[in-house]
Amino acid sequence: MITDLGFWTLQALNALQLSMLLFLLSVGLTVIFGLMHFVNLAHGALYALGAYFAASVAAMWGYWAALLLAPVAVAGVGVLLYSGFIQRMRKSGPMAQVLVTFGLIFVLLDMTRIVWGDLPLAIEVPAMLGGRLAVLGVEYPTYRVFIIVLGLVVLGGLAFVLGRTQIGAMIRAGVDNDEMAACLGINVERLFFCVFCVGCALAGLAGVVAAPLLSVSPDMSLQILIPTLIVIVIGGLCLLQRGVAGALLFGFVQTFGAVLAPQLSSVLIYALLAAVLVIKPVGLFPAKG
Amino acid sequence: MFRHTPLRYAALVLLASAALFQAFTAQYFGLEILTEILILAMLVLALDMVAGFGGMVSLCHGALMGVGAYGYAVLSTTAGLTPPVAMGAAVAITAGLSWIIGAICSRSHGIYFIMATLAFGQMAYSYVFEAPIFGGDDGLGGIERLDLSVVGIDLNDTRTFALFCLVALAAMYGLAVVILRSGLGRSFSGVMHNEQRMRALGLTVWRVKADVFGLSGMIAGVAGVLAAQHIMYISPGLMAWTVSGEALVVVILGGLGTLVGPLVGAAVFVVLKHELSSLTTHWHLIVGVILIGVVMSRANGIFGFIEDFVAARSKSANTNPKAREGTKDA
Amino acid sequence: MLETRNLDKSFGAVHVTRRVSLKLERGERRVILGPNGAGKTTLFNQLVGELTPDSGRVHLAGEDVTALPVAKRARQGLSRSYQKNTLFDGLTVEENLGLAAAIYTGNATRIWSDSLGKAEVREIVRDVANQVDLMPFLHAKVSEISYGVRRQLEVGVALATRPLVLLMDEPTSGVGPEMAKGFHDLLNNLPRDLTLLIIEHDMDLAFDVADTITVLNYGEVVFDGLPDAARGSDLLKEIYLGSWEDA
Repeated sequence: MITDLGFWTLQALNALQLSMLLFLLSVGLTVIFGLMHFVNLAHGALYALGAYFAASVAAMWGYWAALLLAPVAVAGVGVLLYSGFIQRMRKSGPMAQVLVTFGLIFVLLDMTRIVWGDLPLAIEVPAMLGGRLAVLGVEYPTYRVFIIVLGLVVLGGLAFVLGRTQIGAMIRAGVDNDEMAACLGINVERLFFCVFCVGCALAGLAGVVAAPLLSVSPDMSLQILIPTLIVIVIGGLCLLQRGVAGALLFGFVQTFGAVLAPQLSSVLIYALLAAVLVIKPVGLFPAKG
Repeated sequence: MFRHTPLRYAALVLLASAALFQAFTAQYFGLEILTEILILAMLVLALDMVAGFGGMVSLCHGALMGVGAYGYAVLSTTAGLTPPVAMGAAVAITAGLSWIIGAICSRSHGIYFIMATLAFGQMAYSYVFEAPIFGGDDGLGGIERLDLSVVGIDLNDTRTFALFCLVALAAMYGLAVVILRSGLGRSFSGVMHNEQRMRALGLTVWRVKADVFGLSGMIAGVAGVLAAQHIMYISPGLMAWTVSGEALVVVILGGLGTLVGPLVGAAVFVVLKHELSSLTTHWHLIVGVILIGVVMSRANGIFGFIEDFVAARSKSANTNPKAREGTKDA
Repeated sequence: MLETRNLDKSFGAVHVTRRVSLKLERGERRVILGPNGAGKTTLFNQLVGELTPDSGRVHLAGEDVTALPVAKRARQGLSRSYQKNTLFDGLTVEENLGLAAAIYTGNATRIWSDSLGKAEVREIVRDVANQVDLMPFLHAKVSEISYGVRRQLEVGVALATRPLVLLMDEPTSGVGPEMAKGFHDLLNNLPRDLTLLIIEHDMDLAFDVADTITVLNYGEVVFDGLPDAARGSDLLKEIYLGSWEDA
């Protein structure tokens, strides 16, 4: 099995798929931290909300509608969170932010339980994405290929926006030095708000995309929180390329760890995180300031 | 550095009397709740020691407590050690492990410190979950309580065990106060305020952090041993990061860096949990709302709020002009 | 007592110190002058070990300490005060001094005893409080004393580690000319065997204290000698006074 090239290809694809999912989740969180210095633990709860919205919408109008509407709905929740809590907590220390958003996890978790119940929900993979595709000589589920492609598309889109557009330049300026950016006449508050909403929508998108793979259950948010945080710490709280690097590292260590050393796989990923922090106490690619 | 104010003494006396009253009058269920409070109080005491006085906001204290619990369970059952030896060894192992974690994480700050401790806690959790010697997902049973029959004390009696935990908590509280008021404790607080300056004065900062973190882990280990003896069965759930998260919530609700406040927080938290969960299955929602409310109110938890209130009252009572003098910093 | 040889440090393309060589004898009081951005504080940071020089060596009491971390150098007798106060705000003056004295006497890591209760610590605290005129404020909290007194405490905390060499980064920064004069008297009354290296902005005040003067400009030593020679130096006037006006 180990010598079979197809096996390695398959696992690499699995790792890539996991990485892309984590990338969708972590990029929002990373940019929010990098730009606003805000630690939002409730990001995972937004991901779970995305999955739940998707389950409801998909039951009525099918998967494609869910893929479009659920991120928008999550962004709407993001607007509420922003005006209710985030804006007021912007100037507080990281400790207060961690705690408030930790409280938000509790609240959002129980609210999803109240609305959708305790039982896990399932979403069908749309017919178009059912079945398998031949990729690099292996049979691979079409839906997972779709996730990888979607992740790459989002990555490309973000890279374009950040690197080539005026808004991207403003965001980069804001990350480097928000006071300076404000002096240059950039409306930093509005910029933050937009970025926050986009980050929420991406978390929601990750929820929709993950929903058919997992069953949609209340503790999704807690399950995903730790991996996302690990990705961010490994990748460093900075912009795009680092988030991708962190997500890929996590995805590959996790996937190959589970296959090659099942006994150690869960310990392995935490050992990776600990090793990163021992060598570099502020993450592999430290954020500025 | 930690100081006992009259208000703190009063709160301690009140807490101790309430615990004693409960211990002598309550029935089985009340005693179980009391013991639960006392063990949680010991855990949050350990956490407040490092988080409140040294800024080391740890997300591995739940796991450290679990190390104490599993250490005791394995040493007293599988390894066949007598309970006192197993207790001592389990606490020593936890303290040692905690010292190492503290030393390694001493260079990280803020969110990175939180993440680093989380990583170590989760590593311990995952390991216990996987390793057959710890019973995996099923946990370990058949754990015995300490045998004090030579001095005529039967810890298998629920009331006696609750009192035993109370005595242990009082001892750990005393220990924490001694440590925080010692030279080490002063340096620890100094490091929280200005690490760079303390280093420039010649202090080996990582050693101070590791020492206090180790001592705090020791107290968490004692809490773990008591938890194992209390339920007489342990499962990996004890070590999940959410336990550490909950402990942090209790410290915040009670009042970070007041040492007394987290004890109040533990009592409020456990009572609230039991009261609310009998009313609704969504008690986490209410805890979440309270947590958000407390943090956003900018008061330092329940006890911090009371302290501020009392301070404001006594200030307006005697109009002291000296307090306003000479605070013109550039 | 303190000697640097060819200290070089650059951040990217910016050279902050260039081949800086200094030699301080025991008990010498040297003032470093130079316009803003001349590399004075960067030099300090390299001396105490908060920055590592790109090349060059630092010697303390005849020993090469270039590779030693900050805390070890401090324990070998190198202490510093900061341009911006780095005091422990919630504590009293006595406790601030006590923190430093406890480190010097080895009481800062004891678990069973309070460092402030030790006779040796109290003695240093009293001693230093006398040296920097803090006796009346011993039991006041930092938040209750005036800015000028805080500057005294800033130096006092550095003194409480009983250093051989004391580096002071603009000790009179932010205090009025009247008080600054008093501050310099205070420095003049410190024990004569203590070696002092002081960054100072105000030239006239610097001459009050200095045995010798070093002038830095663009990270380079452009003058090194006696105060009288410095006073007459055209070079000094040109680079220093020129930018002093707008500083």
